[in-house]
Amino acid sequence: MTAPAVLTAIEDVCPRLEDLVHRDALGELLGSALSLFGVPVRLYGQDGRLLAGAADESELYATLGEHRRVGERIRQIVADVKQLDPDPRADARRECVTGAVYRVVRLEYDGHPMGRLIFGPYASPEVDGPSEQLFELAPELDRARIAELYEKLPRVADEVVLSVARHLSRTFELILFSEHRALLTSNMHLASVRESFRELEEKTRKLEEANARLTELDRLKSNFLATVSHELRTPLTSIIGYSEMLVEGLAGDLTGEQREFVSTIREKGDQLLALIKGLLDLSKLESGMASLARDYIQADRVVEDVLATVQPHARKRQVAVVERIEAGLPRVHADAGRLRQLLLNLVDNAIKFTNPGGCVSIEVRLTSMDPEKMHGSQGVVLLGSRRAAIEFRVADDGIGIPAAERDKVFEPFYQVDSSSTREQGGTGLGLSIVKRLVEAHGGRVSIEDNVPRGTVFVVLLPLRFSSLG
Amino acid sequence: MQLDFVNRELTIKLVYYGPALSGKTTNLVALHQAADPGSSGRLMTLETRDDRTLFFDLLPLRFRTPGGLSVRLKVFTVPGQVIHAATRRLVVQGADGIAFIADSRISETQHNADSFLDLKHNLKEHGLLLHDMPVVIQFNKRDMPGVRPEAEIAELAARGREPVYLAVATQGVGVIESFIGLLHLTFGSLDAAHDLGQKFGFDAGALLEEVAEKLGTQQPVRDILSACVGGALDVLRPEAAES
Repeated sequence: MTAPAVLTAIEDVCPRLEDLVHRDALGELLGSALSLFGVPVRLYGQDGRLLAGAADESELYATLGEHRRVGERIRQIVADVKQLDPDPRADARRECVTGAVYRVVRLEYDGHPMGRLIFGPYASPEVDGPSEQLFELAPELDRARIAELYEKLPRVADEVVLSVARHLSRTFELILFSEHRALLTSNMHLASVRESFRELEEKTRKLEEANARLTELDRLKSNFLATVSHELRTPLTSIIGYSEMLVEGLAGDLTGEQREFVSTIREKGDQLLALIKGLLDLSKLESGMASLARDYIQADRVVEDVLATVQPHARKRQVAVVERIEAGLPRVHADAGRLRQLLLNLVDNAIKFTNPGGCVSIEVRLTSMDPEKMHGSQGVVLLGSRRAAIEFRVADDGIGIPAAERDKVFEPFYQVDSSSTREQGGTGLGLSIVKRLVEAHGGRVSIEDNVPRGTVFVVLLPLRFSSLG
Repeated sequence: MQLDFVNRELTIKLVYYGPALSGKTTNLVALHQAADPGSSGRLMTLETRDDRTLFFDLLPLRFRTPGGLSVRLKVFTVPGQVIHAATRRLVVQGADGIAFIADSRISETQHNADSFLDLKHNLKEHGLLLHDMPVVIQFNKRDMPGVRPEAEIAELAARGREPVYLAVATQGVGVIESFIGLLHLTFGSLDAAHDLGQKFGFDAGALLEEVAEKLGTQQPVRDILSACVGGALDVLRPEAAES
């Protein structure tokens, strides 16, 4: 794509005088010449049109204009004068039938003719009375009256007119130069802005294309993940099913060692299945395909249910699980199944990372939350009111998570310490699923220190979901 | 280039390109001072308060060939500062020849190179190849401390194609030489491309003599041209450019 052809256009065309200069201002300039030197002057454009003038019609010319022959002759002379186009360094002088004088000066700018200044009619100081020519043409004219009117014509010496003409030419040249400069500047400014705009537009287009391509790739990735997970799950279900049947002795009794081996196969199969389910869940949440079945639910009931589920596991690990649920909690607008899933995940995690003899607590209370990203933005006073929210605090007294790692633990497959994972098991997807589930509810999840040791996962869910939050 | 057949007038556009503060405007000021008042119009500068060129400078020059052809030269500068990329691209549009004004100081080497690549890129945006463009290079600010040695420039210039001139534009040194060198290449290239000699009786050599005289130099054009420290003064012919 090439740049617009604005500059070539502004360079090529030599502008017309009337396009560059304000006409009223021209009139004022000529008026000042008239008042200073008493010489009438008119300015004509290159096409012969009158652009400005400072001259009143004299009584003499008004009177003679009514005379048929004389009026015609004067009009003829004026028409001739208008046609004169003298050399820029010279001027042209024409004497009228009355003996008065016209003078024509060409205006130039950068070697181009721009127009003409026509001075007159004026009378030279050294000439006494009107020309005899006039009375030869019209003997019936009243000599005394005409002489009287002639005396009223402006009387200016030729040298004065010439010096006024030089002065005006130079002034015009200067005005034209500065106006031309202003014109070029503004045209250039406009063209530059347009060019910058074009450039930005092109960049934006490229970015949009890249974005579309990446979005498509992301969609393909999610599709791939979903398909692969599904295809993996099918044979895995058979593996788990058959190993279960073997353990239960449906194919005959197994020796102790055989039972142990098959149990391992089953256990690892279950782990793999959990991982695949997690991946599927994550890809659904990421692609926005997971829909929430929101309803007004009792959060305390969900918590009770979660605790009942983890109790056997906790007892086995000798970890105490306690609950502190505020009385009279209002209902929260959420998907009960998903809320259960995310709390179960957090509590399960807490138990996993707590040493035998330790304690895991889950606390639920009513609070309020700030909508996110409101600091310093506009309309905070209107949009930023705090909203009622329900807070879940899952605390353990385990090894804790260093502050620098706290954002990263929500990334898929991230482990603070990979050795502990091997020891504790887990897919590495739990927390990233938790984060996405919380966000899908318009809530927030964060990590705080537990005193004296351990970690608190804090989940804030707004009581009412709204897209604004 | 534009041709006005009716008034037998030829308008040629020349652009002074280069990095910020390399002395492009100073070159124009020196040319303007040297030129005969009858040949030179007013120097139009559009500067910001800190003397940096805002959009461009324009020096109009007028000459008449012995054959009665009127030749107008419009000499532009571009704003060197990086942020004026769009303006540079607009000014360089339709250029018939380019004088690249480089800053001789060693510390400016990278800026010179960046600006030259910027020129190449901007010409390409208009569908022009630097290869086909008459270009002279001027190493300005020879009077400053820390400049690249002349021998080094001459050695590199001898290997390059563009004629290279040394200058101190603030003192008018090397300014006319660079300009005449640029005109020599530009006139020759336009004549070859448009057959101006045949159609208009355009005589590049005679015009060059006329310009040199109006710029107040007494030297023969041949001597002025030979002031270049390297590069080739052969005119680019369209067929040569293709090969």
